[in-house]
Amino acid sequence: MLKTFFRYMKLMGNRLPIYLCAILLSTIGDAGRKIANSYLIKNIVTAAQTNNTTHLFQLVLGNFIVFVLGLLLWRFGIIHYNIEGRTAAGKVEKLVFSKAMRLPMSYYEKNHSSDFISKLIFDVQKASDIYTSRLRRILSAIISSIIYLIPMFYFSWELTLCLTAVSLLSFFINSLFANPMKTAGKHLSDKNSKMLEKLTNILSGIELIKIFPVGPRLLQEYETTNKEYLHIKKNTNRLSAGLESFNCMFDLIGALAFLGLGIWFVSLGRINLGELTALYTLYGVFRNVFLDIGQYLPQMMNCIANAEKIFEFLDMEEEPEQWEFETCKEKDNAICYPADNPILSVQNISFGYNEGKKILENFSIKIEKGSFVAITGESGCGKSTLAKLLLGFYPLEKGTIIINGKTYSDLTLKEIREQISYVPQEPYLYKTTIAENISYGKYGATRNDIIEAAKAANAHNFIMKLPNGYDTLLGERGNTLSGGEKQRIAIARAIIRNSSIILLDEATSALDNESESLIQETIKSLKGGRTILMIAHRPSTIAAADTVIKYIT
Amino acid sequence: MVKPSLRHGYMLLLFIICSIVLNEIIIIGNDFIANATDSMLSGQQVFLPEFFTPLIWMILLGTVISYFKGIFGKHYSSMVQNDVRLSLGQHLLKLPFSYFDTKGTGSILTTLISDMEEMERFFSEILPGLFVNFIIVLTSTIYLIQMDVMLIIVLFASYPIMLIVADKLSKKLANIIKKLRTHMDERTEQAYDAIQGIIVGRSYNLYELHKQKIDTIINNMVTQACKSTRISSLGWVLKNIITTVPVIICYLFALYETKQGRISVGDMLAFTVILNRILYPIGDIVFCANDIREIGVSLKRIQEIYNQKEERTDGTIYKIPNINQAAPMIEWKDIDFYYNNNCDRYVLNKINFSINAGEQTAFVGGSGEGKSTIFKLLCGFYEKKNGEYTLLGHPFKDWNLKAARDCFSEVSQNIFLFPETIRQNIACGKENATEEEIIEACKNANIHDFIVSLPKGYDTFVGERGICLSGGQRQRISIARAFLKNAPILLLDEPTASVDMEAEQKIQEAIEKISAGKTVITIAHRLSTIKNAKKIYVISGGKIVEIGNHKELMKKQGIYAEMYAKG
Repeated sequence: MLKTFFRYMKLMGNRLPIYLCAILLSTIGDAGRKIANSYLIKNIVTAAQTNNTTHLFQLVLGNFIVFVLGLLLWRFGIIHYNIEGRTAAGKVEKLVFSKAMRLPMSYYEKNHSSDFISKLIFDVQKASDIYTSRLRRILSAIISSIIYLIPMFYFSWELTLCLTAVSLLSFFINSLFANPMKTAGKHLSDKNSKMLEKLTNILSGIELIKIFPVGPRLLQEYETTNKEYLHIKKNTNRLSAGLESFNCMFDLIGALAFLGLGIWFVSLGRINLGELTALYTLYGVFRNVFLDIGQYLPQMMNCIANAEKIFEFLDMEEEPEQWEFETCKEKDNAICYPADNPILSVQNISFGYNEGKKILENFSIKIEKGSFVAITGESGCGKSTLAKLLLGFYPLEKGTIIINGKTYSDLTLKEIREQISYVPQEPYLYKTTIAENISYGKYGATRNDIIEAAKAANAHNFIMKLPNGYDTLLGERGNTLSGGEKQRIAIARAIIRNSSIILLDEATSALDNESESLIQETIKSLKGGRTILMIAHRPSTIAAADTVIKYIT
Repeated sequence: MVKPSLRHGYMLLLFIICSIVLNEIIIIGNDFIANATDSMLSGQQVFLPEFFTPLIWMILLGTVISYFKGIFGKHYSSMVQNDVRLSLGQHLLKLPFSYFDTKGTGSILTTLISDMEEMERFFSEILPGLFVNFIIVLTSTIYLIQMDVMLIIVLFASYPIMLIVADKLSKKLANIIKKLRTHMDERTEQAYDAIQGIIVGRSYNLYELHKQKIDTIINNMVTQACKSTRISSLGWVLKNIITTVPVIICYLFALYETKQGRISVGDMLAFTVILNRILYPIGDIVFCANDIREIGVSLKRIQEIYNQKEERTDGTIYKIPNINQAAPMIEWKDIDFYYNNNCDRYVLNKINFSINAGEQTAFVGGSGEGKSTIFKLLCGFYEKKNGEYTLLGHPFKDWNLKAARDCFSEVSQNIFLFPETIRQNIACGKENATEEEIIEACKNANIHDFIVSLPKGYDTFVGERGICLSGGQRQRISIARAFLKNAPILLLDEPTASVDMEAEQKIQEAIEKISAGKTVITIAHRLSTIKNAKKIYVISGGKIVEIGNHKELMKKQGIYAEMYAKG
């Protein structure tokens, strides 16, 4: 726990001292303001009691100046504290999200994307609370408790001792409540998530509910969990009301009995009336911050637990720069480096997702520059896996792939991917403008480049028909494109890229006729200039190919 | 929301009464001490035991009252929230499908959850806090007025300034927070976007680009957050100065009055103590505006859901007659449809067809051509814009929606199973389904053997760790559900779209069984599944472009034949 906490604080780097200083300054400022306030009351009450008002104005003015200075110091501290805290929180977010984009491909296939992102965002927010509130609360509660005790002891050590004893006692009672409160809180949050689950059922199953007679049951279940939640909540209410009444009791003891006792002290001449009032005001603020420590500690623990999850995520293995696998070493090996120098040569590769079960075994193909090759075969036989291997999403188990005269083991994944433009079956378009989506294919593409590519992909015409043309924002309702339109934009993205190979993975299998023929046209026009590798099972799709490779397991 | 908060109003009232009593105790106690101080200062002997007894009583009474105050206040908030949650759930169930379709269930859910949290904060913290502060200020003020009216006038003179400052700042702050929220949403969206498109992102080496985008958004978030502290901390500083200056003036004024002999030193002491007590509540009441403004957004959004019109519940509950062959089940005449008011983009345009009982009909066409919309109109999820829709001989608009939907069962490619047991998922099909009925439905759907082979059988939790149902198994469960419903019309939306060959065969078998004696309407773009349909409608661009059975359409050498050739 402590280790996680320190590691989390270390993420702040050399800003940590500034951050801690800011906390210290803001705490001193706040405490100073409150002490000035109590001195002010002391001066006035003393003046009333002794009927001596000489210097009173200067004293009060002095107190007020200290009060304002305290406030300004507090503000200065709190602003810098927030700048440092928020920046650090932002830093953690950046770390986490860039990590989220660098995980091995298998992670994304196993984890539902929305799932892990929303969990991640929740954890990051909770953990960042350490920077932006939790730590300061605890530190400042501890520091200011100590600061308040100094003038309190100065006013009257006997009374302060008694007051501290009462505070410790109430701290103790509060901590007795801590465990049952925590259990109750856990029950409550369990029931709460149950309740939300039932509500989620209603919302996400709404189509079924409308057709099947399941609505009343779901509603009833929702109502039952609600009732249970209310029941537990009421129990928790009793518990926390009990705690509150205890605190109120101590509050009253402080407020009434101690003033009584104080008066007695005054009558004995051990303290004067002004000091007593000041002591009492200070006790009020001291008690508040002191009890807060008990409340803030468990909250801090929870946040650290979230930080732990963040670190678990950050410590996960990333996709490497380059896969390491055995391959032919000698440059002049004739099998590895064939004399005819094809643009892509896949040699005896084997691969399986699970141990033992091979999806591809001793698979080889050779593709000449500028040719159009189609690979067909039954669905589920590993065609799409081949695409993933070509893109370097997974390491090869055996064999090698050579692209443009270099083996995969000599290339970084980035270099490999630079040479292949991939168009998957379900094209993903980012939630930005059409123009930007296309420009993703080429860094620094001009509007002309984009239009050229769109024309080549037979997408220009329909894009121009949209009200905002190339600047149409995708993903918003009303701007939904049909599957064929999306695919044509994805192809434009591949065309603009100008890479040596275009890899189409079932790119037209889910489309209607018109879209498919438009895309076919595009592919035909690319033939010759680019090397095209197409994975498909429909005969019509592959009709135009120079070579058809039938793959059978 | 208003109704439940009034219904439990008596709790709030009791809470307020307790708060008043509690505050009175403190004030009386103070008065008591003030008197003691005076008598002491005038040279009398203070006798401690006599002094303590009433104080101890007050403490005990205060403790008890405080307990009840806590109970009433908390119970009030819990009960109001409970009522709101319940009525919200009931209301959501009755909303039309189009509401969920346009808003997206995911986004409804996320806003609902966060809004309900804010609502909880309002009822459990803000509202009672406001009352308590108000009571403290009010009772203390009454006490102070009895002492000296002038004091109160001085004290509240600063109030208007505070109101203006609070209002200005809170508006500014609300603006910044709104911006911050937008940036946060952007960040979430950007992260989702990058991860959902990871395959494209990887193969196009977009990592740096996306990282830059997210980093920029996060930097903006940090900037806005820092801006908001600048303003809120300024607000805090001003609030303290504005409240403190009049208090100091009050102190000095009280001192002057004491010197003049108009109030005693004891009163003066009590006065400072009480003044200190109300110093913060006064400021809090005003600056509460910030919180309320923030929460108001959430409360408004919840209210918006309440304001959504519920789906109609009127209409006649027609009996579903015994299926009489050749009787027309569904007739569409010149049906037009477009979403919202977007009449430029017709989804369905002048669609005509008629389906008799026991017939098998299919609609084919590419994705996004309006096939699924036909199903949505059939089930009354959306209302047609023009034309006539007759179901079982009655105009659809005369039908009670629930009764009309009883005529349909659906097996869709979007298989939805509730995260509950398999039994519960199947029992959805029929109210009070017996064990035998469920098992029979499963046998018919070719899934019984599989279910029994699971360690927990029918009580297996869907989605439970280790037991991951395949697409084919899930689909057969949904078929069993449709079996149980036994509706006269069966809607099949590409039920084998996302399963492998072997599973497809099993599903096909189950579908043949369930189709027996039913009117079946299929939508498909895989044509092998609909060869046997009596009539096939080819849809393109929202219009019916070809009609006929498989043979006829093949002969035509039109779109259908071309599609079929492609397999």
